[in-house]
Parts: sequence; structure tokens; C-alpha cells
Amino acid sequence: MRLAIALCLSALSALPAVADVQRAIDTHILPGHVALSMRTAELANTAQADCSPEAVRPAFHAAYDAWISISHIQIGPIEDQALTLHMSYWPDPKDSTGKALARLTAAADPIVDQPKAFGDVSATAQGFTALERLLYETQTDAAYACRLTQAIARDLARKSAAINADWPAFATLMRSAGADGNTRFQNEDEARRALYTALSTGLAFLHDQRLGRPLGTFERPRPLRAEARRSERSLRHVQLQLAALETLAAAMTDSDLSATKAAFAAARARADALDDPALQGVADPGGRFRVELIQQAVRAIQIAVIDEIGTPLGITAGFNSLDGD
Amino acid sequence: MPTRRTFLAGLTSASLTPTLGWADAGNPIALSAARRPDGQHVLVGLARTGHITFEITLPARGHAAAAHPHVAEAVAIARRPGTFAKVIDCARGRVKQTLHAPTGRHFYGHGAFSADGAFLFTPENDIATGAGWIGVWESGTRYKRLDSFSSAGIGPHEILRTPSGQLAVANGGIRTHPATGRDKLNLDTMRPNLAIFDADGRLADMAEGPDTQHQNSLRHISAGRDGNIVCGFQWQGDRFDAPPLVALYTGNGTLIPAQMDDTNLRKLDGYIGSVSAYGNGRYAASAPRGNMTFEFDSTGTQSGTHSARDVCGLCATPDGMCLVTDGTGRVHILKDSTFTHLATHKYAFDNHLVALTPV
Repeated sequence: MRLAIALCLSALSALPAVADVQRAIDTHILPGHVALSMRTAELANTAQADCSPEAVRPAFHAAYDAWISISHIQIGPIEDQALTLHMSYWPDPKDSTGKALARLTAAADPIVDQPKAFGDVSATAQGFTALERLLYETQTDAAYACRLTQAIARDLARKSAAINADWPAFATLMRSAGADGNTRFQNEDEARRALYTALSTGLAFLHDQRLGRPLGTFERPRPLRAEARRSERSLRHVQLQLAALETLAAAMTDSDLSATKAAFAAARARADALDDPALQGVADPGGRFRVELIQQAVRAIQIAVIDEIGTPLGITAGFNSLDGD
Repeated sequence: MPTRRTFLAGLTSASLTPTLGWADAGNPIALSAARRPDGQHVLVGLARTGHITFEITLPARGHAAAAHPHVAEAVAIARRPGTFAKVIDCARGRVKQTLHAPTGRHFYGHGAFSADGAFLFTPENDIATGAGWIGVWESGTRYKRLDSFSSAGIGPHEILRTPSGQLAVANGGIRTHPATGRDKLNLDTMRPNLAIFDADGRLADMAEGPDTQHQNSLRHISAGRDGNIVCGFQWQGDRFDAPPLVALYTGNGTLIPAQMDDTNLRKLDGYIGSVSAYGNGRYAASAPRGNMTFEFDSTGTQSGTHSARDVCGLCATPDGMCLVTDGTGRVHILKDSTFTHLATHKYAFDNHLVALTPV
């Protein structure tokens, strides 16, 4: 695969790029992955030096921020290397992460000391979601939790570096969409559509999962379903994703996006005004109302994005995917 | 020179038109409902090359069709909760007759002919009770409603005839009422099943999933040459907690869950759009909301994954491959783990491809 990409590169590099795709790659995707790679390397080094939760938490937050800021880019190396779930395993309705960590801990599994082998343990025991449990929940076996913390941090750094390393080659494929020999992106529209998919699925994930899961229904709010509630990062993930998706939206088109920008600004203002980091207020009517307002603002972004980016690109909602039968 | 049959038909009466086979409709291997760029809904025939062999306008959006095994005739059945079905002469390009669901019933978008083509079967909802029924129609110059029998479940969706001449019905288990559109009224108690009937309508076998997966709604089915049936499900629970959405039925009241990759499974919104048994013991399933088509080997283990936007229609080809269509107008072919683009049309292909060749 790498060889194939390398061979393609030499043939394709001289071709003109698609301006909007180029800009999204240069200003958003590549720097986002560089940041992820750097922050996770720092996280791994920090954990190696001192694995106590207090020592690791600041680097954990910085690295998790970097991940959430680029997590909507699910095409390319992360998909090709099948690492989507390894970076963070959420939503997790069956508490698979809790169970997997309990299994490793109960067995004091020595796999944590084998960096290569650890990369192949279940995705549920890896990534930021598993690390958060180790850093924010009381551990029955502190010594083992330390080794596990180091193993997860080390593997996050290794995987982030691998994704980052492969991005320039994939970026070349996107930029040279439609060129002879480019079987991944057979025309420019395919590259644009891939970016638009990242934007629209990112917005849908924000609306339906990051906000929708804790909201549940009025009769049955589900505060324990808030993402990263243990480290009180739930609202921060909403804010980071809004910022990242706005950057992507602005990069992928030349039009002024007045409605989209206004909708993003309204959503950010509502999120910034909320004093409820773990979104636990969804359990009472007043707090719930404020989270619902953010969710409604995200819906407004989704509509503006369809009007100002999707429709001009000729992208219509799926004929079959929306039919539901 | 006119054939003996057309000659005789011409002699007897103008209304007794000669019977034309699928060759007279351009030798399609499959039928699909589709939407043209001008918004007009049509039924088209597709050749093995991916090209369109005929096109007939429909009065409203179609879903699937029932293809007559010998005559170039298809019944396009209104999508849920529609009450009409159009009998279409595909060789002459005209609607021959409109069938109406009996009062108090609606169709589910699918239907199937008996092996000899003499009878048409249509899954129906008895709106007042929510019970599933299979309508029985006699085909011919004029289709006639004969009878109906219980589908042995709620929400019968796809129906097919098996190579042994039995009928298989996917009872989705979900009760809906036209007054509340497609709202699902019984998610807590739903219990889908695959029901197998002998040609006379007698229940021969029934297969259900495990109790913990009673919200896995069985919608689409496809039978292979060996009679095994691949089943496609739509999970009504948490989309991140979906069980395998594909299963195999090999008889004896049992559904064998497919082995599906968890990473993929989380991306599908719990939704499989179509399934196909093709070749010798190969299976495919499409996930329009995940933009993926999956391949499975004869044991039901996922053996390939292919990306295609808004992909849904699947059916077996006579040469042992699987024809694939999507909502962006593309036709693909799946063969031995390679997924190849065949043709692109300015049409949005609707949910299902219906194979014209008997399996």
C-alpha cells in the first residue's frame, strides 16, 4: 500500500491542485494531525516520567484536545489503518471500556509491558476513553494502572505518528483527484465530497451523539451518557468540534458563507455561556433547556451548511439512506 | 415472419395481446425503480453491462418490483404505506393494470410471483389489527385478487420464492399505522421472524433471532441456488450497540448471525438496505447510511468491504456475480472480492434490484 502510494506520488505531484481541497488540507487537516502527533508524544513522555494521574492529566487534556479537533477526519490513513475506534471508543453503551480495563487489571496482564503486542489489544481498552478512566477513576491496583497508563499513552503516540506520517501521501491523492492513475479519487468532486462528508457527519455526530446522548428524552435524560464526563470535558468537546468544523467549512469553499458563519457563531456563544462542563445539568429542566439550545443551534448550522456548501457542490441528501425502508 | 403464437393472438382478438418474453424488453437481467433528474419516477431494466434496456414512467416513487419469471411483465408495488401496484408490460412499455390493496390494507413495497408465474403474492398490513398478511393474486390478462393468508408476523416486508418453490417472508415485527406515517408503535414488544411457507400457503418453518435482539427488524432476504437465505436487518436499539445486521438461514428454524467487523458495524446507523445471495454460497449486504457494501463467505464471515455512496440495490447475475446500484446513478459489479464500476446514469436508483433470472 505504502509503495503504491509512493509510486503514485511521483506521477501525480506535478498536477494542478483543487484550490478548495488544497486549502482544507493545508490549513486544517495536515496541521491538525501534526498537532495530534506532537501532543500525544508529549503525553507518552510525561507518562513515562511520572505515571501518577496528577502528573499525566495536563498532557492528557492537551492531547485529547488535539484529537477532538481532528477526529471528524475519518478518511485516509486512520481508515486505511483501521484505527478509528482505537483513538477513542465512544459511544460505549455497554461499557465495553470498563469491562476491558477490568479484565486486564484483574489478570495483571503483562501485555502492557509489550508495546508491539499492546497495539493489538481490543480497541475498547485503548485510546483516550480508556486513559480517562485510569486518570479519573479510583484504581484498585495503582501499580498496574500506572503501567496501563504508560502503555495506552505510548500506543496513542505511536498510532498518531503513524496516521500523521501517512497523511501527506493521502493528501497528494486528494489534491490530484481525477488524474490518471488516481483510483482513490476519480474526479475532483470525489475529493470535495469526502471533505463535505467529514463536515456533515461531524455536525451530525455533534448533534445526535455528543449533545443528543446525554439529552436523551425529556422523560428520561441520560447524564451518564455524556462523553468524557469523568474528566469534565463533555462541553469542551462540543466547543472544540464547533471550532474545528467551522475551520473546515471556511476552508472548503470560496463563498462567504454568511449564514453558516452566523450559525456557528450562535452555537459557539451558547456553548461558551454554559457553565456545565460535564453536561450533567441535562437532568434538570433548566439545565436541559440550555443544552437543547446548543443542539438547536447545531441543527441551524447543519441547515446552513447544506444550503451554502452542499447544494452548490451538487450534493443532495441520500436518496436511499434517507428513505428508511 | 410472425410466430405461430402472435399469429393466433392476432386472429382471436385485439385485446388478447401476444405474450412477450424478457428478450423483447432488451434482455435485462434486473429491474430497478429510479428517479430521473426531472423528478419523474420510473422503472428501468438493467443489462449485465450496467446499461438501461428499457424505461417506463411510474405515477409515484417505487420501491421494489415483482418480476414475472417468463413474461416481460413486472408489478411495481407502491412503497409503504401505499395501496396501489402497477402491472407493467415491460416489452411494450405501458401500464397494463392497477391493482389496489383491499380496503383496510396497505402494501409494503415488495411482492413475488410463484415459480410458474401464475400467482402474485403481496405482503400487506391489516391496518386495524396490525396483523401481517400475504395477498394472493391470479396473474394473466387481468390480475384478480384470489385470497390472502397470515404472514405469521407483524410488518411483512420482503417476500421471495425459494428454488424449491416455497415462499419466504421477512416479518419485520414493527407495527405502523398510516395515521401516524412510519412511526413505530411497538418497539418494546416487537418480535421479527423469517417465515417459510409451502406453495399452498401452509407455514413450513419459522426462524427468530435471540430474545436480546428482538429489536433487530428483519426486512430483506435473498435466496441462493442452494436454498440458503441471507437476511438483512434494521436495528431499532442504540446504533452503537447493534448486533450483527446480517444472518444466514439454512433451515431448521435457526438464524445464524454473520461475523461482522465492529468498526464497520458502528458506522451503519443500524441499517442494512438490501441483501443478495449470489454465485455459489456468496452473500452481499448494502448499507446506504454507511456508504458500504459488505461481502460474506459461505460461513457468513465478512470477507470484504467496498465503499459506494448511498449504495443500496443488490442482486445476483446469471454469471455468478452481484450487480450493485446506488442513489447517485452508478452501477457496479461485485466479483471475487473486487468491486468494479460499470456505468453511471443520471438516475437515482431506488432501494432494490430485482433479478430476472431464476436462482
